[in-house]
Amino acid sequence: MFGAFRPTQPTFVGLLWKTPWKLSRTRKANVRARLKRVDSVIEAVKESGVQCAALTKALELPKEHEMPPRDKYTVFSRHAKGYRKGIHKVPKWTRMTLRTNPKGF
Amino acid sequence: MFTAAASLRSCASSLAKAQCRRSLATSAASSTAQSSTTTGEPLTHYRITLRRSAISLPQNIKGTLEALGIHRRLQTVYHRHTPDIAGKILTVKELVTVENVPESAVRTKWEQRQERKAPRGYSVTGSKLQVDL
Repeated sequence: MFGAFRPTQPTFVGLLWKTPWKLSRTRKANVRARLKRVDSVIEAVKESGVQCAALTKALELPKEHEMPPRDKYTVFSRHAKGYRKGIHKVPKWTRMTLRTNPKGF
Repeated sequence: MFTAAASLRSCASSLAKAQCRRSLATSAASSTAQSSTTTGEPLTHYRITLRRSAISLPQNIKGTLEALGIHRRLQTVYHRHTPDIAGKILTVKELVTVENVPESAVRTKWEQRQERKAPRGYSVTGSKLQVDL
């Protein structure tokens, strides 16, 4: 029943990695910390007084405290039921800008 | 001979102390400048540190890091406040941390290395022989 030979899906079918369908509390906290770190980078560039197109674009992004939880932890997906999937299903999601989603979805 | 060595040693220790003092002073200065930009020196540079690796990210992001002169994680570089550098920072904003620092806080690679090093040599604080006599 227990131990190394218990009948579970990974032991039966070999290579099987499962991704939880939603983020845990800790992972969500880490998401927020990362978002805040990026906000601080944008804030530092803004405070430097430099003006450029990239900065105006970055300032259009919602800040961590302005984002609804829906946008923090899920992203738009045209294939998923309800047009949303967990943000952790996106490859390289911790190092990408995934703050905005299509309006109405 | 002995005096020369001693003087060298004392020189080395004083140098190390001076460097220590310099680094301490600059860190204090930068922190105060961060809190109030009007009182201290003008903030002229970005201090950019790579926190997250760009492994398996698109070539344009890897190339941007190269253009900023960053080659490894936790490496720190300094760049002037210019629009092109700002754009590069914002391209890799998920990977770096950025601070605005005054001109005096700018360090070259060699200077950063020297500041990381432990102070060399030693200084004689007293002698038990002399106390006994």
